[in-house]
Amino acid sequence: MANRVAIVGVGRSTQAARRPEVNDAEMINEAVRAALADAQIDINKVQAVLTNSIDGFDNFYLGDCLLVDGSGAYMKSGMKFHTGGTVGSTGSIAAFNMVASGMFDIVLTIGHQKQERGNSMGTLCAAAPGELREFVQGAIGAFAQAAVQYMKNTNAKLEHAAMVRLKADKNACRNPYAHLRLGLKSIEDVAKSPTLIWPLRLLDFCPQSCGAAALIVASEKVAKKISKKPVWVADHETVHELQSEVVFGGDEEKSQQVAARRLYKRNGITNPAKDIDCFEVYEPSSWEEMYLYEHFFITEHNTGWKLVEKGVTELDGAIPVNPSGGVLATNAIGATAMLRIGEAALQIRGDAGEHQVTKDVKTTLSSGLGGTNWTTLVLLKRSL
Amino acid sequence: MAEEKKEEFIGVEFLSKIPYSWSMGPYSGSLFTEMKENKKIWGIRCPKCKKLLFPPEAMCGYCFTEVKDNWEEIGDEGTVVQFTKAGMPIFDIRKGTFAFSERPLANIQFDKGPYIMHWLEEKDLEKLHLGMRVKAVWREQGRGRGYEDIMYFRAIEEKK
Repeated sequence: MANRVAIVGVGRSTQAARRPEVNDAEMINEAVRAALADAQIDINKVQAVLTNSIDGFDNFYLGDCLLVDGSGAYMKSGMKFHTGGTVGSTGSIAAFNMVASGMFDIVLTIGHQKQERGNSMGTLCAAAPGELREFVQGAIGAFAQAAVQYMKNTNAKLEHAAMVRLKADKNACRNPYAHLRLGLKSIEDVAKSPTLIWPLRLLDFCPQSCGAAALIVASEKVAKKISKKPVWVADHETVHELQSEVVFGGDEEKSQQVAARRLYKRNGITNPAKDIDCFEVYEPSSWEEMYLYEHFFITEHNTGWKLVEKGVTELDGAIPVNPSGGVLATNAIGATAMLRIGEAALQIRGDAGEHQVTKDVKTTLSSGLGGTNWTTLVLLKRSL
Repeated sequence: MAEEKKEEFIGVEFLSKIPYSWSMGPYSGSLFTEMKENKKIWGIRCPKCKKLLFPPEAMCGYCFTEVKDNWEEIGDEGTVVQFTKAGMPIFDIRKGTFAFSERPLANIQFDKGPYIMHWLEEKDLEKLHLGMRVKAVWREQGRGRGYEDIMYFRAIEEKK
């Protein structure tokens, strides 16, 4: 990047299935105020504000215009992004680029979704290309098909998916900003949940949540002045794919591998399992998390399930993945990919609280994932 | 003991239809015409990178070449590479309502390479497996519905 960029503030709103007690602007305002307080600045210091969500998923449009009261964008610069599931990370990457360009010193970026409203499955079906739309069963259909393929290609069983879900819940129970904190005791508790779309059980798939996230992004000059613990944006990457019937899973190389390979090469990462201390990945299903272990080269092809079996990716494991509880616990879609970045930044600072991982975290990787399977990656470091 | 006051929210309902139409373009338009009139599936071979593009379009998404009329018949047999069956009501885009889907949904790879998402005839999950061979069962009457000119894919004898 042209100039160094740091995350100096992280904010999260309360995340829940329903937030009828607040409107959209009030909900994002919770995250904005938390991020400003975390950065110890007031809104007057912010030069540009980005708002990011998936239009239509919650029957809400034009967030850049309609949320100015809650976002603090009044008379400020900024823009809105709408990219699908990746939107929270795309909006963050845009903020990094705006600061890296030298045009801005402090940018606030916000991800939000209030899914108590609307019909996200219907919107997703309608968003598919015309010839395909009668065959799209929301996002869940695509992840279910990928799960069937994963079971065939590997020795992974339903129990392995349950182990991933159990880990997510154990971590979420430590995170006051997680939506689902179920207190699951064993993989039998996961097995009891009803099958939504074979082989995905209710608990194997992410919930619909209402919530917001916010990041304060600053230039090196400002970050060093105002922050005791700036988290540096080492690099980021975005890779698109063509619309394809085999969106997730499949035997062909996906955007995840391409993105990871490029990012690792630029940053001298030869062994991601050792060179990266903690991961916050976008896992809409428990099966997808096992796929992502492989796609990001944490482990070899078709061996992701073995990491789960050995507990390597637990909060106190050698390679912690999603200590926040991840997407399986909390999924206000527009905020989801931004939370991956914000949570990773808190891990580097050592400020994640109850869900701080056991090992020292100097480098993290956050991923975003969206329809037609495009991938965003953000590499954060304690020092550059 | 005083009764705890329950929080009350006032909800105002707005119900609106948002109709729209989707243009397929001349290439996928020709595909649908061939499906309707001759029960045939066609793709376009990219003259540069040689990928067989399906659904056909005016340009190759992989190498950005303009493809012209380099048509190639794909055939209607293939192999199941992914499948699932919903146990929950799924949104039906045609009706605008949630309903249980009757059949398993599958990703099928045609023998020439491209994939199609479609229904399977066999409803019993126990009788399905990845790698099974299938062939399109065409609608005899009322074609002109795009991919739905095929009713579903039926299991055929495995390749030796």
